[in-house]
Amino acid sequence: MSVLLQVSNLSKTYRLGGFWFNRKEIAALEPLSFEVNAHQTLAIVGETGSGKSTLAKLLVGAEKPTTGKIKLNGQTLQTGNFKQRCQHVRMIFQDSGTTLNPSLTIHQLLDEPLKLNTDLNETKRSQLIRETLQKVGLLADHMNFYPHMFSGGQKQRISLARAIILQPRVIILDEALASLDPSLRSQMINLLLDLQQQMGLAFILISHNLGIVRHFSDNMMVLYDGKVIEYGKTNDILNNPKHKYTRKLIMSQHLQLLHR
Amino acid sequence: MNLLDIRNLSIELESANNSILAVDRVSLSMKEGEVRGLVGESGSGKSLLAQALIGVLDERWNVHADRFHWRGKDLLRLAPDERKAIIAKDVAMIFQEPMSCLDPTATIGEQLEEAVDDGQLSGYFWQKRQQRQVAAANLLHKVGIKHHELCTKSYPHQLTEALCQRVMIAMALAGRPLLLIADEPTAAMESTNQGQIFRLLASLNQLKNMSILLISHDLETVTHWTNTITVMYSGQFVEAGTTEQIFNAPFHPYTRALVDSSPKANMQLPAKSRLMTLPGSIPILQHLPIGCRLGPRCPRAQQECVHAPKVTNYHGHQVSCHFSLKDTY
Amino acid sequence: MAREKIYQEEEFPTPLLQLWHNFRQNPIIMIGFGSFLFLILLAIFAPVLTPYSSVENHLDKLLLPPAWHKDGDVSFLLGTDNLGRDVLSRLMHGASLTFGLSIIVVLVSTIIGVVIGSLSALTTGIKSSFLNHFLDVILSIPSLLLAIVIVAILGPGLENTLWAIIMVLIPQFVHVTRNAVTEEFEKDYVLASRLDGANSLRILSYSIFPNIIEKIISQATLAQSAAILDIAALGFLGLGAPIPLPEWGSMLASSIDLFYIAPWTVYLPGLAILFSVIATNLVGEGMRHALKVRKES
Repeated sequence: MSVLLQVSNLSKTYRLGGFWFNRKEIAALEPLSFEVNAHQTLAIVGETGSGKSTLAKLLVGAEKPTTGKIKLNGQTLQTGNFKQRCQHVRMIFQDSGTTLNPSLTIHQLLDEPLKLNTDLNETKRSQLIRETLQKVGLLADHMNFYPHMFSGGQKQRISLARAIILQPRVIILDEALASLDPSLRSQMINLLLDLQQQMGLAFILISHNLGIVRHFSDNMMVLYDGKVIEYGKTNDILNNPKHKYTRKLIMSQHLQLLHR
Repeated sequence: MNLLDIRNLSIELESANNSILAVDRVSLSMKEGEVRGLVGESGSGKSLLAQALIGVLDERWNVHADRFHWRGKDLLRLAPDERKAIIAKDVAMIFQEPMSCLDPTATIGEQLEEAVDDGQLSGYFWQKRQQRQVAAANLLHKVGIKHHELCTKSYPHQLTEALCQRVMIAMALAGRPLLLIADEPTAAMESTNQGQIFRLLASLNQLKNMSILLISHDLETVTHWTNTITVMYSGQFVEAGTTEQIFNAPFHPYTRALVDSSPKANMQLPAKSRLMTLPGSIPILQHLPIGCRLGPRCPRAQQECVHAPKVTNYHGHQVSCHFSLKDTY
Repeated sequence: MAREKIYQEEEFPTPLLQLWHNFRQNPIIMIGFGSFLFLILLAIFAPVLTPYSSVENHLDKLLLPPAWHKDGDVSFLLGTDNLGRDVLSRLMHGASLTFGLSIIVVLVSTIIGVVIGSLSALTTGIKSSFLNHFLDVILSIPSLLLAIVIVAILGPGLENTLWAIIMVLIPQFVHVTRNAVTEEFEKDYVLASRLDGANSLRILSYSIFPNIIEKIISQATLAQSAAILDIAALGFLGLGAPIPLPEWGSMLASSIDLFYIAPWTVYLPGLAILFSVIATNLVGEGMRHALKVRKES
């Protein structure tokens, strides 16, 4: 399996404002490197403040990295050049309530990435939107509805449709499953697994729910305070955690499993 | 004698055309010192049930029940004001996002002092201010905050969510309640902090013999901290019993699906295989199915399920289903 | 009796229809809205509808009381003023002057303010701060005083008063637009749009403006009632429209000496000003209330 996404030496430091004398630097992310292959999932685990949201923003191109590069299929991705990037790397956000523009219909919402990045004509675009909606389990009639008419699980499906409509190679799930109910979460995971098999996607899952991580991911990376403290296969890390923090995390969620 | 005994509580919402039964004949009973979990996904009516217990629903909602006993006293015969007075004295509630439940313009110390019950302070009126501050500090000690000086001087936005939740529990304890209703107390927190809050609740339960009604949407976490569990779906009563019974041998197909979607059950599945789920999604209030509301999604549904099933009791394990899974165990 | 709908259908209104539905709930607001529309129609069609011209002198019928007095004449419904001009026609023409010009003033200042505010929100740092605040000095001076100063510099006349009032109204739009746009930028769907490769102009027009247009409109109605009063006040002071033009404020000023002899020449323009300001305020209030209700539901 070829390497799809290769990140080398990526880091990000923020400079706080203030005058030239006392500008403070905050290292949000220390240099890290990892690789993701097609049909594989990488899970990034860490608590708030560990740098995982910064990493997501760097990967998707919303922020410029201080050092390091990101290569997709051997081609370096440039920051700010969204057109190049968005066809290949897409993101699903956490809060489905604010990811969908409330004054646009679903058709207009899904039409926008198509209009900006492809040159299909009107009928072909409608056709593609229809097919994508059916792929995620919604009806084609839902094209004409507004976002406020959908439930939470359905809104996440629409975000997923928006992510796959450009047929990307990598999808980043920024805590996308955390706010769903358990039964909807299982349905969404099944859907994501199906899509991964069909389209050969690579997922980068950012989550702190170790149950999902164990089930869904092949490799895992644990972040603490901006540094990578563990990186390797999921099973290896969960069975033999080396770092104290990983052990604490496993204990607080697996405590359940030891009890019964 | 049961602490709380509710039989067939229903909550109706009067809308323009017809009335929607948001909670449909749910029964709940709690003993002293028991920790009961109330599990249900969004739309199951569990928060409505808790709010109806406390009595904070407004006139749009129509609440009626066959039986509503508190410590042996029948509360349905009393006037609403008296009922509220009795409940307010003995029942306290904590909510989901603690930072937004605290007044952002007052310090923690001021809010705690406001919560302290005046009747518990003895002394002349010039001593009361000092006693109130001491009582507030004691409350913070009870929830595990040792250095109370810094805490009392801060504002809610300066504390973390877990700390704010402890402050909320402290304020709830001020009235010395017999029952604490925790409405998804850890939804906004990381898993490490969740454990802290649950351990605190468990220790309060053991030390003070205070009953806790723990409302959550996650069956897995609830099973580690409770003695008994009640499961609700879309406003209807589904199953109730001890935690072992529910988790190891669920009778109702919905409970079975919830148990199957928990991480522990998934440990047995190979990685990246399909999870077992119920098809479909939760019905919205405007389109509730008749009879058993799980009907459209249930794998074992048949003709009879258009009539709502009655509750059957097998050695304390109650289930409300026509085709329960009892025979498969 | 046949019913059109047997099954209860669920309607899914668009956000705009929801707003309209909330707006319609309150009858007083609907009365205000109707009056507002009436004034707009009057402002547009006044030259066609008036019975007499606004400058025609009927020298045989000076200071005629309104038709309901015993001396009045029904052909001059609201009486005449001291030069024999029909008050009703003058009021109707005045609508197009006072009310119509206030709408134009508000439109121009809205457009300028929104452009400056959006530019300020798109940039960061000193440029943004400068754009946001360089017109704030206008806010510190009372609007009427500023208009007088500008008219004193540029000379009296209707155009100069209009420029003065436009300049006075711009800073509020700058602030409102900038705050609304900055707030919308925080939302995830704008980030998603940017990640799709949209440039700033497209993000502004598709993702942001539909969501902030209602805030801008409610600010515009506030500005309009201020504009009506300012135009009338400047006319009253003699700095606005020249005397023969039937602007309501200057009608008030020229008739004030006749208050004891012919009170209708004073109170009728005053009532007209009051009516238009109340209509504008009701529409603005209704819109704000409808927005709030829609947000809560």
